[in-house]
Amino acid sequence: MKTRVLRWTVLSGFAAFVLWYAFGYGDRSFENLCPFGGVASLYGLATGGEFTCSLGPANLSLLIGIVVLALIAKRAFCGWVCPLGFIGELIYRLREKVTRKRVKTIPPRLNAWLKPLRYIVLVLVLYFTWQTGDLIFRGYDPFYAIFSGMGHGTLGWITWSILAIFLIGSWFVPMFFCRYFCPLAATLDPFSRLGLIKVSRNAETCIDCNKCHKVCPHDLHPEKVDVLRHHDCTNCMECIDACPIAKCMTLKAKV
Amino acid sequence: MTIPRWVIPVLVVVFMFGGYGLRLAFTQPTTNVVFAEQTASGEMAKIEATVQGVKCKGTAGFFTKMYNETPGIYTIKTYASEHKAVFTYDPSVTSPDDIKAVMEKKLTFGDGSKRQIFTCLEMVEK
Repeated sequence: MKTRVLRWTVLSGFAAFVLWYAFGYGDRSFENLCPFGGVASLYGLATGGEFTCSLGPANLSLLIGIVVLALIAKRAFCGWVCPLGFIGELIYRLREKVTRKRVKTIPPRLNAWLKPLRYIVLVLVLYFTWQTGDLIFRGYDPFYAIFSGMGHGTLGWITWSILAIFLIGSWFVPMFFCRYFCPLAATLDPFSRLGLIKVSRNAETCIDCNKCHKVCPHDLHPEKVDVLRHHDCTNCMECIDACPIAKCMTLKAKV
Repeated sequence: MTIPRWVIPVLVVVFMFGGYGLRLAFTQPTTNVVFAEQTASGEMAKIEATVQGVKCKGTAGFFTKMYNETPGIYTIKTYASEHKAVFTYDPSVTSPDDIKAVMEKKLTFGDGSKRQIFTCLEMVEK
């Protein structure tokens, strides 16, 4: 069985879980299922011992869970859990089906220039959230806009524009939002860099077909290294699935 | 050491549900308002109410303000994510029914209309 089938099953399960809460069947708001809420709450908890706005214990405990997960399995949360990443992935896979060709990667230099944007987003979101004690970035968050059904706190045409950028960007660039704008990805980066389980390549059996690079949703280069330590790796295992040589690409525990 | 592929989804499920379960370890409230310091002589009772309408810090703040004039309330802690409020009160001065009546009071708005903001779904003595 291809790993993607298993991964999409897991992703669908978590997306259904969030939808269940978004439709009001859970014991709390779906916002409490976002681990980034844990980051947004840290200042309020440290200074006043109180959670920010509608955030609560689940945001913080999920953050702890995914940080530990990142230390073991890199950004597996992004590749195996995040519903927004899943929507983005479905969009660019749809484009592959419609155009019948692989999504072309954006120029590497432009990609490298754009990636630090997510650190700027992280700093801005945290600064203004901690200053105001309110989730004022709700209206700019595609996750909130989609799962709240453009609910309370969205900003009309501004939110619609951000949703349009998210959808169009995901059509042209795989994992568009995750790469350039996701503050949670930026938060997890330092922990992911230390992640224990990594994709490894056996250079002796590798035939340099480049298939592993072509399928990588984050444009990483597993074909150039023996151990893929890059913080963007989500352990999605698309590269392992694409490799035509048995046991050339594997998962290994490497410090 | 080679890791089987199934390890990643297993780790993901374990840490996500483990992380979600860990929420019970964090009991910090959204707001914590003390109306009067507890005195040694005062008898105290505690009640937990599930309140429809308490969903963020703003609504929680508005909710607690409704008790500014209510005698016998010592503290109110709100938990917006769980839509809960915990009251400590003097049972010789007020009662759970009084507390419920205050939160379900209809308020007059700028346009002259009267509306109920909060609804008590459940009350449990602690």
